Amino acid sequence: MLRVSNKTCIRSLATKSFRSSKSRNCIAILAIALTTILFTSLFTVGLSLNEGFQQSNFRQAGGYAHGGFKYLTQEQFQELQHDPLIKEWGVRRVIGMGTGSAFRKNHVEVGWANANTAHWMWLDPIEGRLPKEGTQEAATDLEVLRLLGVEPKIGAKFTIPIALNDQQVTEQTFTLCGWWEKDPVVVANHILIPEKRVNDILKEENITLPTKDKLIGSWNMDVMFQNDRHIEKNLNTILKSHGYQCEEPGDNYINIGVNWGYSNAQFAEKADAMTIIFVFTLLALIIFTGYLIIYNIFQISVVHDIRYYGLLKTIGTTGKQIKAILRYQALLLCIIGIPLGCIFGWFIGAKLCPLIFSRLNGIMVDTVSASPLIFIGAALFAIFTVLLSCAKPGRTAAKISPIEAVRYMEGEKKEKHNKKNKQSKAKYSNSFSLFHMAKANLGRNKGRTFVTILSLTLAVVLLQATTMFTNGFDMDKYLEKFSTCDFVVSDAEYFQNNWSLYGQSMDSEIISAIEQQGGIVDSGRVYREALVVQDFITEDWYRKQNGRFYSTEEIDEFVKNAPRTAEGLMVGEAQTYGMEDFALDHLDVYEGDLSGLYEPGSHEIAAVYKKDDYGNISLDSHWAKLGDTITLRFVEEWEYYDPKTGVTCTDSQKIEAEKLPQRPTVYKDIDFTVTALVDVPQSFSYRYYGNDEFVMNADTFKELHGTANTMLYAFNTTKEANGSMEAFLKDYTNNINPDDDYESKTTYQAEFNKFRSMFQILGSLLSFIVGLIGILNFVNAILTGILTRKREFAMLQSIGMTGRQLKKMLIYEGILYSLGAVLLAFLLFLAAGPMAASVLSTIFWFFTYRPTFLPLLVIMPIFALLGCIVPLLVYHCVSKQTIVERLRETDY
Amino acid sequence: MRILEAKDLKKVYGTGEYAVHALDGVDLSIEKGEFVAIVGTSGSGKSTLLHMLGGLDLPTKGTVIVDGQELSKLKKEELTIFRRRKIGFVFQNYNLVPVLTVMENITLPIRLDGKQIDETYLQEIICTLGLEKKLNSLPNQLSGGQQQRVAIARALAAKPAIILADEPTGNLDSKTSQDVLSLMKVTSERFSQTIVMITHNEEIAQMADRIIRIEDGKIAIRG
Repeated sequence: MLRVSNKTCIRSLATKSFRSSKSRNCIAILAIALTTILFTSLFTVGLSLNEGFQQSNFRQAGGYAHGGFKYLTQEQFQELQHDPLIKEWGVRRVIGMGTGSAFRKNHVEVGWANANTAHWMWLDPIEGRLPKEGTQEAATDLEVLRLLGVEPKIGAKFTIPIALNDQQVTEQTFTLCGWWEKDPVVVANHILIPEKRVNDILKEENITLPTKDKLIGSWNMDVMFQNDRHIEKNLNTILKSHGYQCEEPGDNYINIGVNWGYSNAQFAEKADAMTIIFVFTLLALIIFTGYLIIYNIFQISVVHDIRYYGLLKTIGTTGKQIKAILRYQALLLCIIGIPLGCIFGWFIGAKLCPLIFSRLNGIMVDTVSASPLIFIGAALFAIFTVLLSCAKPGRTAAKISPIEAVRYMEGEKKEKHNKKNKQSKAKYSNSFSLFHMAKANLGRNKGRTFVTILSLTLAVVLLQATTMFTNGFDMDKYLEKFSTCDFVVSDAEYFQNNWSLYGQSMDSEIISAIEQQGGIVDSGRVYREALVVQDFITEDWYRKQNGRFYSTEEIDEFVKNAPRTAEGLMVGEAQTYGMEDFALDHLDVYEGDLSGLYEPGSHEIAAVYKKDDYGNISLDSHWAKLGDTITLRFVEEWEYYDPKTGVTCTDSQKIEAEKLPQRPTVYKDIDFTVTALVDVPQSFSYRYYGNDEFVMNADTFKELHGTANTMLYAFNTTKEANGSMEAFLKDYTNNINPDDDYESKTTYQAEFNKFRSMFQILGSLLSFIVGLIGILNFVNAILTGILTRKREFAMLQSIGMTGRQLKKMLIYEGILYSLGAVLLAFLLFLAAGPMAASVLSTIFWFFTYRPTFLPLLVIMPIFALLGCIVPLLVYHCVSKQTIVERLRETDY
Repeated sequence: MRILEAKDLKKVYGTGEYAVHALDGVDLSIEKGEFVAIVGTSGSGKSTLLHMLGGLDLPTKGTVIVDGQELSKLKKEELTIFRRRKIGFVFQNYNLVPVLTVMENITLPIRLDGKQIDETYLQEIICTLGLEKKLNSLPNQLSGGQQQRVAIARALAAKPAIILADEPTGNLDSKTSQDVLSLMKVTSERFSQTIVMITHNEEIAQMADRIIRIEDGKIAIRG
């Protein structure tokens, strides 16, 4: 084949035919923009989610430096900072922990950090600045100031006791020079002071560096590398090249840290199959929706211009070139449509983000991603859809022979195919009516009619599906699982699934405040462990329990070194509850009898079995069987030891480097009888899993632990008191003690409604945009249907069809389209509804299928109206021309 | 009996300097059962005249009376209804409805009117025009001549007062043209139909009872 340079020629042809079809272009641009909107908003949400996930990981990790070297001496610090692998470094020296009553619940680190480290830990003052060297200044967060009762004012003086180690506490006074907002996700509070002040305090307290545990005064260097790949490898390489290592304790030992926020930060990596399927379904749906309309537009426009393409062929344009002309036009349309779609899509996505994220625990998103990836991705997908859509119209145009083009009638072949059918049916069709004619008109191009109807159907199906889906959310099922009683009160952190409160008791003042309110029908406490409780388990159980978290090799290693009892059992960690009667009443008993647990001092115990979301007990979720006598070990004191030698170890460096295990030194072993197998409702549980759980009598529990650590306080109120109690708790937890929090049936109802409304909004939005596309497609089909038949209509009128009859026929056509779509959607739902429902109820346990056709009923009149109005409007524009003018037009 | 009468018909397109006088005072009267040919070169105004006579277009001035009814006195919808009852059209490019069968096309004007079909009359037309075997075909399965015969049948079906044919043979070869034309003549005689035909072909015009020649919007010769 000859290669000729004809690009300019093709382009100019394409641009000229592009200009000549303005109405097609408008509709096509709208269609492309809408398709792009769908892609862009999907990607905006997706990427924001991913970034938000990473961000929240960093915040939990306390910073976003790639990694760091811990507890360095000054010499080591000065030596390592110049390593060529390090792109940027920051340094921090901790002098101690803020103590005193103000900081009872907070972890406040006092020390010096240079600007880099401060920035990487989000310690950037929103007011004032970081402390200056050689001054008494300090900067901290607003929470610390609030706890100290210090007005955030530059120059304010405050004094805090700082614990330097187990023995030494020093009182220090600082001048406030700046503050920042404390991020609630970041664990520690910080007070930053000048480096010289760190040295001064060390001198004052006669501490020489390095200290034994190296914690205070040492240099902690955070580093940033070129990129976030191979962080650990880089850290090790640096150590090696300077003659250090992080494996064995010794003179050349340096501890390293990798920011785990980077290692598992990608939400996409963690996404499960469900999410992936969901995203792909959405993408496919959007491509399909876009395809339906863009294909239709181009197909119509090609058929419309078929004589033109025939002419081009006659004068020697190849099929390939015709395809190129069409493609070029499509791309021109993209140039306008895609940016429009990107802009609107991003705004829609940005509006949706907070809505969706508020549903995802642990992901804090305050920024919406504006990554160029969103726009590139959306644009690529949109272009893909457009090119896909104009492929077949392109083939139609390319295939046409010049002679055929002149006589080309749409759907000609199909009609011939149907000849026999028609002959047997149409004989003496006295059944003639305008309706019949309208039907025949739609049959002219079955493909287009189908695509148009399908495109409308899609919107109806989506809306119907959304409604059915959200309608099926069963509040009762949801509440039954989550909310056992009217109110549960505890520390705020308990409700945030926080592990850090191990061994602490909740605020008891709120309980007495609640009791004073009155209106309480019944109430009870659940106690949490103050001591570590161990149980004795078989190796099989040990392997099964840990198999979920560790590899077989790792478990083999544990098992090899693990201590055993005389019977050969291994030691596991148990999680025990002490429950007062009210809580015991709410346990779900699978087997056995709880009555013994109501006796104070009783050594009867209930083993906690897990239940899946569908309420089935999982029989292998616990090892203890009914009637077993089991031993629990309550450990009061521990020591580190070397498992190889069995020798006790106190060298903190060795302990850390070799990750030495602990063993109990002071403990008591108590025997219990398992008298019941139960399930602890979510609202009374520890809210994290992994250990074997047991429930015992509250008094027995308190006695064995030697203390009473209340985990939560649960109660029911009278109906009348319910509202005021809710208001009281809301006020108390917001204003009096923000560290307390509560859950109530109302909380769950609100949560449930929020969850449901998220789907409602998303679904409606999706249906709306898809509906818009469907309607656009419909308008386009009607419009071209009328425009191409302009002459036919004139002829019909010339032989005596009145305008009224013509309009009636057009309305029939419109209604056939729109009600066809509703009918198709209805049939689809009748067929697929129950099946989809059963799938949904396996995914969403609180889903109950309640068939509803309300949206169809609502949509039907709207569509019927559209079916009437659209053809009338279009016809109105056409009929302005006189019959003669229209008759004369030989080319459209 | 006078079935069609036009008095001082004028049609002006555009205004002022750009005004084009398509028809410039045409007087015409046609008797029942006549087969009249209107001839003229392209641009002479013959199509405009036909459109006026058929009520497809409104004259700037003058009146058209068909079967005693002055067309300009009718409202738009009334005019359409009058047209489908009293006037049959035959076009150069047949103008059949592509989605309807031959039978459906022929009976379309009657059914648009919601009337019962006169079966014997219909069969007669169909036989005369030789369309018996094609009744269930679609227009695009027919040859040009066949399509034009369907169009003639359609024009006849409603028993109109007058048939207006606009270059009925314009798209046909000479042999087929002759066939179609003789059929028109035969039907005009058999059903005593008045036919007004436009053509630019002198040879074809010769088959008419009377020839009216039109030049520059005026009648030049009356046959």
